[in-house]
Amino acid sequence: MPPLLSVERLNRYFAGLAALKDVGFEVEEGQICGLIGPNGAGKTTLFSIIAGSIPPSSGTITYSGKDVTHWKSFQAVRAGVARTHQITRPFRSMTTRQNVEVGLHFGRGPVSSSPSNEVTAILEGVGLGHVAGRNAASLCVGDQRRLELARTLAAKPKLLLCDEVCSGLTETEMNEVLELLRRIRERGTTILYVEHNMRAIMSTCDQVVVLNFGQKLTEGPPLKIQNDPAVIEAYLGRTAAN
Amino acid sequence: MRATSVQMGHFLNYRVAAWGTTLIVLGILPGCGIGPNLTRLLFTALVWIITSVAWNLLGGFTGQVSFGFAVFYGLGAYTAAMGINGGLNPLAAFAISGLAAAIASIPIGLPTFRLRGPYFAIATIGVSEAVRVVMTNLSFTGGASGYRIAEHGPFRPLEHYYTALGFAGVAVVISAWTHYSKFGLSLQAVREDEEAAADIGVNPLKAKLMVHLQAAALTGIAGGVYARYAAYIHPQGVFAFHTSVAILLMPIIGGAGTVAGPVIGGFVYGLVQEELVAAFPQFHLLLYGALLIVIILFEPRGVVGWLGKLRVFIERTWRKSAAASVG
Repeated sequence: MPPLLSVERLNRYFAGLAALKDVGFEVEEGQICGLIGPNGAGKTTLFSIIAGSIPPSSGTITYSGKDVTHWKSFQAVRAGVARTHQITRPFRSMTTRQNVEVGLHFGRGPVSSSPSNEVTAILEGVGLGHVAGRNAASLCVGDQRRLELARTLAAKPKLLLCDEVCSGLTETEMNEVLELLRRIRERGTTILYVEHNMRAIMSTCDQVVVLNFGQKLTEGPPLKIQNDPAVIEAYLGRTAAN
Repeated sequence: MRATSVQMGHFLNYRVAAWGTTLIVLGILPGCGIGPNLTRLLFTALVWIITSVAWNLLGGFTGQVSFGFAVFYGLGAYTAAMGINGGLNPLAAFAISGLAAAIASIPIGLPTFRLRGPYFAIATIGVSEAVRVVMTNLSFTGGASGYRIAEHGPFRPLEHYYTALGFAGVAVVISAWTHYSKFGLSLQAVREDEEAAADIGVNPLKAKLMVHLQAAALTGIAGGVYARYAAYIHPQGVFAFHTSVAILLMPIIGGAGTVAGPVIGGFVYGLVQEELVAAFPQFHLLLYGALLIVIILFEPRGVVGWLGKLRVFIERTWRKSAAASVG
């Protein structure tokens, strides 16, 4: 079976500065694939290109057998690829419920015969049922993260791109979110997951891709990555690796 | 759950009742012997309300502040004027006015909607000024000396009044529908964060172009209704920059992003505008500028926001005094 997502020789330059150099990897359907790397490794850039937020300088992206290198973000969403944001971007003057409604009505669909019940179910699934009627601007950081995820889930992605959904969360909140990601995967959604928190990555991912200075350093199952000297060097420096 | 839906129903009924009463009052007022002067003022206010509601679709609901609505107003005015002179039924001429403005909104929107915030606003000023200069020099519309409408038959102010009232009603219905529909939801999302909206499936450019089209059509019709009434139009009037500013001021005074706000703003502006110009021929724009600053600083939701605060205050005082009388 061909991979759900395949990235080949992807390059992206920002005014001559290479943010990504010849990056290539594949994500199998049903996987949770982790994407890790030190600050500035190009994780978010790679993410934004796959989600259609910015175009690559060169290279190709294939999704479900189609060349989707130059699609726009709303086209990506309608085809089934949707992202969350590292820094949450709620529609501030709209209610929590309205935020999710946008994803439901303009996402991949289909919308059930009772959209209102569907929104309620999504909100309760991420633990936002009690703040459904509140303005998104008034939510606390943890709830804004949940909203970011809820809104994206409402768009019914086949491939969910999660950008640091755990940052700024407490230990308990983080475990809840990770549990939620596993449940989402069990329902058949493939997940590409950018994360800084190693424990989060190690406990949820089937496969991990490591980026460093815009290039792919290595990839493999979490245990192998954790003990790879090159990865330890990238994160902690040369002496630590030896 | 049940309680909220009942409250919601109650809330909607109250709104529908308020709008119905307004419509009935405006409908019977001219028959109550208010005199030609007040009828004329109300007619002017109604025309302004149409443009104000139209601007709010794009500027209030969608957050795209345009300084270029005089283009649609003027285009509508000239189209209707030429249509009526060509022997067209006035209503048909107004329909063509709306159509012409709607078509013009596409080439204007396509390049300008790629710009954000203040850059979009500046671009619309440029488009508007360019169109005004072209119209000033276009010989077949009379250039700077303007264009006269020669309609046969007697002048019937009430016919003009009810035409304006009808179109204002249509504008409010479109505005309310837009606000509460799925389309309106996507417009709000675009206003809040365009990229985030695109990241969950909204096509921002399409949403902006579509609402721009609606707003342009309504503004064009308003221009047409005004032109037929005035019987004489010229580029320094209908295409002028101050027309664009007026169309933007009214919804902001009343309350941008709400359904009632632009109507209140248009009404107030329509009634006081003439007196203000007469009293302060040089300074009236300065007064609006000062008013705009005060509104943006203290109550961005305009009169509607202020009324909301007043209601909360009255309810609180009421509850306190009720509690005091019990205790």
